[in-house]
Amino acid sequence: MLHAAANQSKMYPRCRSGRPLRRVFSRPASSSPVELTVDVSFLLMEVVVNRRDFLRTTFIAGLGISIDGTVGSFARSLWAADHADIAVARGESPGGITKAAIDALGGIGKFIAKGDRVVVKPNIGWDRTAEQGANTNPEVVAAIVTLCYDAGAGAVTVFDRPVSDPRRCYKQSGIADAAAAAGAEVDFIDERKFEKVPIDGLVLKGWPIYRDVLEADKIINLPIAKTHGLATLTLGMKNWMGVMGGWRSRIHQRLDESLVDLSRVIKPALIVLDAVRILTANGPQGGSLDDVRRLNTVVAGTDQVAVDAYGATLFGLTGGDLGYVRLGHQSGLGTMDLSKLVIKKVVL
Amino acid sequence: MKTKTLRTIRRLSQALFLLLFLFLFIQTESKGADELGYPVKFFLDFDPLISISTLLSAHAIERGFYLSVIVIVMTALLGRVFCGWICPLGTLHNMVGYFNRRISAGIHSTWYAFKYYILFFILASSLFTAQLVGIMDPISLLIRSLSLGINPAVNYLTRTVFDTFYRFDIPVITGGSEFLYAILKKGFLSFTQPYFLQGVVIGALFLFILGLNLYERRFWCKYLCPLGALLGVLSRFSILNRSVSEGCTSCGVCQGVCPGDAIKDSEGSWRNAECLYCMDCDDLCPQNVIRFGFIKKNRGVSLDLTRRNTLLSLIAGIAAVPLLRITPQSGKRYLNPALIRPPGALKEEEFLKRCVRCGECMKVCITNGLQPTLFDAGLEGIWTPKLVPKIGYCEFRCTLCGQVCPTGAIEKLPLIKKETVKIGTAVIDTGRCLPYAYDIPCIVCEEVCPTPKKSIWFEEVKIKNREGTEVVLKKPRVDIELCVGCGICETYCPIKGKPAIFIISANETRSADNQILLIP
Repeated sequence: MLHAAANQSKMYPRCRSGRPLRRVFSRPASSSPVELTVDVSFLLMEVVVNRRDFLRTTFIAGLGISIDGTVGSFARSLWAADHADIAVARGESPGGITKAAIDALGGIGKFIAKGDRVVVKPNIGWDRTAEQGANTNPEVVAAIVTLCYDAGAGAVTVFDRPVSDPRRCYKQSGIADAAAAAGAEVDFIDERKFEKVPIDGLVLKGWPIYRDVLEADKIINLPIAKTHGLATLTLGMKNWMGVMGGWRSRIHQRLDESLVDLSRVIKPALIVLDAVRILTANGPQGGSLDDVRRLNTVVAGTDQVAVDAYGATLFGLTGGDLGYVRLGHQSGLGTMDLSKLVIKKVVL
Repeated sequence: MKTKTLRTIRRLSQALFLLLFLFLFIQTESKGADELGYPVKFFLDFDPLISISTLLSAHAIERGFYLSVIVIVMTALLGRVFCGWICPLGTLHNMVGYFNRRISAGIHSTWYAFKYYILFFILASSLFTAQLVGIMDPISLLIRSLSLGINPAVNYLTRTVFDTFYRFDIPVITGGSEFLYAILKKGFLSFTQPYFLQGVVIGALFLFILGLNLYERRFWCKYLCPLGALLGVLSRFSILNRSVSEGCTSCGVCQGVCPGDAIKDSEGSWRNAECLYCMDCDDLCPQNVIRFGFIKKNRGVSLDLTRRNTLLSLIAGIAAVPLLRITPQSGKRYLNPALIRPPGALKEEEFLKRCVRCGECMKVCITNGLQPTLFDAGLEGIWTPKLVPKIGYCEFRCTLCGQVCPTGAIEKLPLIKKETVKIGTAVIDTGRCLPYAYDIPCIVCEEVCPTPKKSIWFEEVKIKNREGTEVVLKKPRVDIELCVGCGICETYCPIKGKPAIFIISANETRSADNQILLIP
């Protein structure tokens, strides 16, 4: 389906015959010189520009590629066809776009090996339903669990340490049921399983972290994008509070540094940011459907700072507006400079 | 019958009802869904003492109490079969009494009257609007004791045992113990360890009452139980009666085994109001001359309650009411800020007329926030529920306490309504709040505030800290019109032990007097 907002096009890409290619879902040109846009209907209706590029794609049948970029980026785009730092998928089906985003990064096999013990860490922090946009979308969680098993994972565990009552959070969010149906082991936190982990951090010297995270082969961070009073936005890095033991609210006193410290210690294989629904006000608890905006988007990546930086743009902010993203960038945890990254976009 | 069939059937019946009771008790816990899914207050609904007392004091009948008519009719026809075949507390008494092999009959032949005086006291005070029945009612006592004392203690014991195995991490044994632990957690352990104020007192009192059986079997049922007394009164014209036919040798076996001490002499004189219909005499009579059947009562012995004592107990019940009501709280001269009632609670006078202190709401509260009062509501309100946010807050979208309250003291509210009911308001002490007093960022309270439009907002201010550096701080402010007083801010405030934001009962929706704002 074509995205209607084909806006500022200084240069329409053209195929060999000179016919202009339809252009879809483009971001403002200033931020990304190399951009691969995908349009399902395109292939059905028009000839692809370059067969070699087409053959290089890792997209499922029915998708086509159109290359839109600055002059001289052909070589870069060839490389880009195999590599992406961030994938952004958009569509009506939360499960479908989750899979598409992972595929755009190279497929789940790139991240999960056969027999892996995987921890999938969604946000199940609040006693809210899926429509209220305060917890990760259950269909996104189920899709990730299914993908992990498809890649041959030995065991997939889904858990979080909520703020509200765990039974209500797990049930009302729909995540426990959806994840269990997809075959994951869904457990409540067992208070005995926190282990003090030494952290050579900016402010944290150590903190009890949940043992399942420490013993996992692979960790997938699965946050939802929301506003937050103190942090401005809560995205991927803030989601690690859910594996902390003890009286974790104290890190509010030095939040930015603490989140960077945590993110340095927990190394996720993948970050999948759920932006199917985002909470634009009164977060992180929310409650009113008026504060929820349906973006039907999922963002995936391996750089914690970059994914959060991209997530900020969904709210009209930049990574630099978030203290922990700036600090993460400065300390070398990742990069918040989206212009240096290859961002693949998929529209279903 | 020579065979012990009646006894066996009776014991089977007692076991089934006890298991049903314990099953419902364990189900009185959230599984995450909005509704509980089981009629956990079933046994309370059947209790005629509670329904009659609530009818007298509050002039109201909750829908469930129509079930108590069944027990009334059953008792009128069959006598105190409830005590012998159904009552779960009675079954527990029987189980403890098993370890007392002494004769428990004929020791205190006049003491049985005492429970009737207790009954009259309770009914008289109920008539004059003081609902004291729950303190002595056996079902209420059982649920309260289990919820606040025994269940927490059993949980504590079990968890400690398993946690010890877990900590020592012995190769095969720990795996086995964790497997067993998981089964217990699924089956009967509470989701988290419950903690209750006065738990030790309530638990110890219960164990003492059970322990009385080691002195004399069914001590409670014979001398103390007001429900037993009520059923005794109702059974005056029962049609199921005991008869002793020719052939009785006056051996006294029946007299000795009777748990209700109802057999006065061997020729069949029998105090039917005291008989628990346990059928032991029928089964154990060596001559097999005793029979229970639908025959006309003969040589029955009536209750020996003196007019003087009856009058005294009635007067005491009436006198208790003004004595209890002279606390300043009753006169609303002083409205206790620490008395935060659950959402859906009626206004205080009505609440106290209904609450039977059964402890169901405290058992079901998912954060363990509802605790029993001692004097917070005056002595009249002892063991009624109050929210203690330092222990647990009121989960915004939960309505369980109203679902389990048997008398409607806590109304069952639909979620939409419950989210607008205020039970108090949050107050910030800027003398110890981190941003105000120490220039340290925090606003955990703002983060956890659950109202859709947050009742805590923050002001961004630029201040100079001690070193002279300019810092931007977010300082929390309470929106007093929006705050519902749920207490989650107090529970999570990092100022341990003396939170910088805390709830006071003022502004509670249910009270016309306890208001701060001109326009609520």
